[in-house]
Amino acid sequence: MAKTLKTWTAVGIALVGTTQILEAAPSARVILPHNPAFILSDGEGGEGASEGGEGGGQAVSSYKLDSTDPTAFAFDAKPQIEAYATLVHQSYADAATGADKMAAAIDALLDKPLPETLAAARAAWVAARPAYLETEAYRFYDGPIEAIEGDINSWPMNEAYIDYVEGNPKAGIINNGTETITGAGLAAINQKSDEADVTTGWHAIEFLLWGQDLSTTGPGNRPSTDYIAGEGNNDRRRAYLKAVTEKLVGDLQSLEQQWAPSVAGNYREVFEKLDQREALGRMVNGMAILAGFEFMSERLGVALDSGDQEDEHSCFSDTTKQDFVHDLAGIKRVWEEAKLAGLVKSRNAAVASEVDGLLVDAEAKIGALGDPWDAVLRADAASSERKAAEEAMASLQALADGLKKVGSTLGVLVLIPTE
Amino acid sequence: MPVTAALGGATTRPIAAQNAFSFAAPNAPREHQRIFSFGNRLFNTNWVMAPASVKAFDGLGPLFNRVSCSGCHTKDGRGQPPADGHGPMESMLLRISVPGEGPHGGPRPVPGYGDQLSERSNHDVATEGVARITYTEIAGYYGDGEAFSLRKPDYAIEQPGYGPLPADLLISPRVAPQMIGLGLLEAVPDATLTALADPGDADGDGISGRTNRVWNAETQAPAIGRFGWKAGQPTLRNQNAGAALGDIGLTSSLRSAENCDAAQAACAAQFNGGAPELTDVFLDKLTLYSATLSVPAQRGADSPAVMEGAALFRGLGCSSCHMPTLQSGGHPLPEVSHQTFHPYTDLLLHDMGEGLADNRPDFAASGLEWRTPPLWGLGLVPQVNGHGFLLHDGRARGFAEAILWHGGEAETAREAFRNTSKDQRDALIAFLKSL
Repeated sequence: MAKTLKTWTAVGIALVGTTQILEAAPSARVILPHNPAFILSDGEGGEGASEGGEGGGQAVSSYKLDSTDPTAFAFDAKPQIEAYATLVHQSYADAATGADKMAAAIDALLDKPLPETLAAARAAWVAARPAYLETEAYRFYDGPIEAIEGDINSWPMNEAYIDYVEGNPKAGIINNGTETITGAGLAAINQKSDEADVTTGWHAIEFLLWGQDLSTTGPGNRPSTDYIAGEGNNDRRRAYLKAVTEKLVGDLQSLEQQWAPSVAGNYREVFEKLDQREALGRMVNGMAILAGFEFMSERLGVALDSGDQEDEHSCFSDTTKQDFVHDLAGIKRVWEEAKLAGLVKSRNAAVASEVDGLLVDAEAKIGALGDPWDAVLRADAASSERKAAEEAMASLQALADGLKKVGSTLGVLVLIPTE
Repeated sequence: MPVTAALGGATTRPIAAQNAFSFAAPNAPREHQRIFSFGNRLFNTNWVMAPASVKAFDGLGPLFNRVSCSGCHTKDGRGQPPADGHGPMESMLLRISVPGEGPHGGPRPVPGYGDQLSERSNHDVATEGVARITYTEIAGYYGDGEAFSLRKPDYAIEQPGYGPLPADLLISPRVAPQMIGLGLLEAVPDATLTALADPGDADGDGISGRTNRVWNAETQAPAIGRFGWKAGQPTLRNQNAGAALGDIGLTSSLRSAENCDAAQAACAAQFNGGAPELTDVFLDKLTLYSATLSVPAQRGADSPAVMEGAALFRGLGCSSCHMPTLQSGGHPLPEVSHQTFHPYTDLLLHDMGEGLADNRPDFAASGLEWRTPPLWGLGLVPQVNGHGFLLHDGRARGFAEAILWHGGEAETAREAFRNTSKDQRDALIAFLKSL
């Protein structure tokens, strides 16, 4: 796959990424500027609105709350910002390492497709996931993840877009295409005409390792014989699995590079130069939006309301509860390891101890969730499993509310998409 | 930020990004968050053919255009014509009819086909055909001598699946519009629209907006139309039920009969996904979702070019129909009630001239009339959907072409634009891009 280096330049206080393709890619993907937390500044108007072209205008991002009292937010957050950058870099490095180990196990599966090698590849997928889930606390602001998150962790997915499904043995790119399968080619069509037409990332790999989860008692049960070379469309399936695995490893390595210390022009360099409260704003919004929107509504609420196994985050492997545990752990790591707890405590001890308590409560409630998650989705509305799930949602809502107070304490705007 | 930059009143969010159309109104009550999220899930659901293991989400087809709402309204945004000019199309459809009145005064369905071309179908059922679009470039000049070219589309239907299409077939092409701010538009009182209408041009300004008179399938009574390119639907619930049936093939309490014409036996014989396939609980959640998507704020409202463009927008006469300000009244959803907002539409039908005409009547709307579309969010379509195609069928390749296609009641305003200076045209477009 082509190596790309995205360099970041500050325009006003927005970071604008430009991607340079270092080697010609067979089908480079145009990545539109993407920033879920673009906040328009009040004072700096006019940025981009007068620029030519069909770009739609570049907004200015600002998380900084203004105060008439110049001393209101006179504190030094340098230790927090540095600790955060170190944490984010380490997390992506861990995620990339785990994915790399998984890639080795997948190579072994392709080398000798047997029940044992398939089981080892699945185990490597499961082992690699926690480190990635913990990085989700760094989403939802204009970080480098936003441009490629859709390639890395999109769900729910339309399995039949990739490979055979029950009732349709000839479905998908694997059974229908004639084009050479490459990571770049698959990325170019990822979610192109429908958000569920996912072609790449963790969940595509998960589906290729497990197959559909048609069982109420266990995960998917794809046979290892699907990977015997030369039979049926197996060669396309083999190429597909290898291509998306390599792409995932590459994507995670590129994120690690964006946060690595002393890499000229990478995101970390710019992040560390931001106005301190702009950087804090990104940190707190990432945590709050994960807790109060993506995790609570999208992953818990929607699944509970549909009762559909398709809404299970990691539905093929039945490892969704592990995802939940580590999403919360990622939030907690920012709070503790990026030293936010200490900074908040120094400014408002009550808020800091409230958030400490909310994290403990959410850990208990997420820990009490039924496993596997699809069994919870099938459970009766009045069941104890459902009650526990509702309590978990409430604990995440409370945590998001607590993080909004953290925002007020630090003088940054916290915007959660659906409230 | 000037107050008018809050295009969606209290539902506005200052966001300009690829998912700018996908947020909930920030003033929504907390108890709506979960309903909204589930509505979003429904909007993104890929419906499957019945019977399927996923009982709640089966019932696709038998005839359909796409398998999900977001298939056409990707990222809650705007559709476009197919790049290669032929179907099956991704985010656009063709309404069809024959001259005369159909049920409740609506379009008269084409015998053997119905009122919309289904380019896709379940196994064992023939598709109705595929669209073919051919463009002819038409050269023109601005008043200052600068050349422009407009592309005029012609529509045909190939591979008709249910017998020859009639010689008097009427085709109305429609792209999927962006989904923002719809609840605000629903909450504008009927009395406001009636008061804005000037069907006989009593005030002599050359602008004679009319309300459409359509059928409300929920109340089983006539009503003022306000949604759709020709204002063919009175409420969002009607609009959603209509789209679920016409575009995806899902029955609902409002539209209980499968989307099969009397002559389509294989279609009628298909197993269905329950009666109805889209339950009222789902339809209600989908409707809350479609009513409460936040409107992105205007960008750079106080920059000189945008301010100049805003003045020209009024001065050239655009604002006669693209009304800058409307007010909503009471509505069951508090987040859209009693707001002042800036959609740049009067929600009325206007004769837009022969150049834009689909020549297909739709209830009271003539073949020359279109409902003024809101302009909010148009500047973000390139960012959200990666294209800049405008007008009801995406024929315009950007704002200038869209303006130049205006005729009929808008001819005076179009000529004013065509004959103004390049700097002023650029300023007007800078204003439109800021919306």
